[in-house]
Amino acid sequence: MAGGIGLGVRIASLDLKNPLIVASGVLGVSVGLMKRAEEAGAAAVTTKTTTLKERTGHPNPVIYELEYGLLNSMGLPNPGASEMGTVVRRAKEVLRVPVIASIGAAAPDEAVKIAEHLLAADAIELNASCPHAKGYGIEIMSDPGLVAEIVSALKSLPLPVFVKLSAHGDLRLVASKAIEAGADVLVAINTLKGMAINVWARRPVLGGVYGGLSGPAIHPVAVRAVYELYEEFPGFPIIGVGGVESWEEAVEFMLAGASAVGVASALRRGFEVIGSIVSGIREYLANEGFASVREMVGLAHRV
Amino acid sequence: MYLLARVERVSKLCENVNEYLLRLDRKLGSKPGQFVMVWMPRVGEIPISVAWEKDSLLKLIIARKGVVTSYIHNNIREGCRFFLRGPLGKGFEITQGEALIVAGGYGAAPMLYLASMLREAGSRVTVALGFRENRNVMLVEEFEKLADRVFVATEDGSVGFKGQLTELVSSILSSSRYDIVYTCGREQMMERVVRMAMNAGIEVQASLERLIKCGIGICGSCTLEPQGLRVCWDGPVFNGYKLIQVDDFGKWWRDASGKRVPLPT
Repeated sequence: MAGGIGLGVRIASLDLKNPLIVASGVLGVSVGLMKRAEEAGAAAVTTKTTTLKERTGHPNPVIYELEYGLLNSMGLPNPGASEMGTVVRRAKEVLRVPVIASIGAAAPDEAVKIAEHLLAADAIELNASCPHAKGYGIEIMSDPGLVAEIVSALKSLPLPVFVKLSAHGDLRLVASKAIEAGADVLVAINTLKGMAINVWARRPVLGGVYGGLSGPAIHPVAVRAVYELYEEFPGFPIIGVGGVESWEEAVEFMLAGASAVGVASALRRGFEVIGSIVSGIREYLANEGFASVREMVGLAHRV
Repeated sequence: MYLLARVERVSKLCENVNEYLLRLDRKLGSKPGQFVMVWMPRVGEIPISVAWEKDSLLKLIIARKGVVTSYIHNNIREGCRFFLRGPLGKGFEITQGEALIVAGGYGAAPMLYLASMLREAGSRVTVALGFRENRNVMLVEEFEKLADRVFVATEDGSVGFKGQLTELVSSILSSSRYDIVYTCGREQMMERVVRMAMNAGIEVQASLERLIKCGIGICGSCTLEPQGLRVCWDGPVFNGYKLIQVDDFGKWWRDASGKRVPLPT
């Protein structure tokens, strides 16, 4: 291990060579892109959210670039659970790092049906927080009891269950219900619901009208969410996601209580950003006298 | 973050293909082979390759094909607005020397811009254009003004060589020596052209088309396997060495759900 620094983390049953995971949404349904993320240094990859049936997503425009982030309204396009199962099996043949399969479901039996196609994955991530697909995501988080039922149903399968939370709604209540139901990992946060109107067209820009805001703009909200979750559930594994563009935001997340960190929007500048974040974390640990990345998890909470 | 453009002139190039001359509120700064996303509010947003650019003037050549392009053909007149973002993607690399441009149908759109850049760089330019029939023929005179030689093939023989563009290209390649081949058009045609050029030991670059959603390499909907190349970001122009290793080239693309399906013919 370079410089004697332990970058590895274990989250649920997943051994990660470093704390950096590619979050859901940016790798499409492409094994090739997953491979590129692995080659760039990612410790795990997350698939695009899979629903039971295929979805074509929202009409274009699906993205609106801002100086401080991205607004997207993809609308959960995916080829459906059966086809995604094929993609995940292929990914497992080609990749050495863990593959996390993200799913979107509005009911427990539907979630189980989807996950049954994805058993080749290393974990299931329940997307309880997509802000721009009707009937999925954010809408199920407004019903903490439903999140618990879905998690509990997914626990009948032999895979760890991650729950991806939104900063909208009652974060702590949903998290506690999810943990009671057997969730293994909390992932926080998803994009924040937003929209943009073009003043010359005098119309909403996004084809789906509403979108999810990601990138640097949401980072402080995500840090707050991770900090609150760690405070409420000390020691419970959390993956911090939202606006990680450099090692500094990644370290910030870990100090707030995240054991691992997700990147997504930052990849718009290329996959190289993964390597630079990982080496930045390593350098920080070395310069600050830490022997392992685990030592800094939650440190900001110490009085 | 859309650029505002005003339509200065609409010209018909041939049946179902129009050229739009736009004045932008600032310079785009594109290279041949790059594209812009054109947003028509309430209708949709599509990728269109840059056909020409100078100062704040931009030409886009748009064929009537789907919902957005039909809307543009039916409704956009002089004085109307265009909303654009770009330039996006990686364009053609200019290689000096003896260049052959191979374009099928409205695949000719970005190639006039390329031809003018090649001439500026001091290259000699030969152009081979292929069209289905007489009513699809476009831009021949414009290419004749710029290029050293222009060949035309039509499937029905109404203009120029009678037959497939690839047959014409095969005879052009066997009669002269070229340093570089550039191609744009139907992918099945480009696949044959890429293989011909590679077999002859000639550098080749091709511009691919896929379903583009985000246009900035973040959504994965235009990805080629197994390398995970994003047409909108790593392309749309790729060189032959890369393309012959792409399983999808000439065979597969992705539908709106992201599923790989046979390339439409």
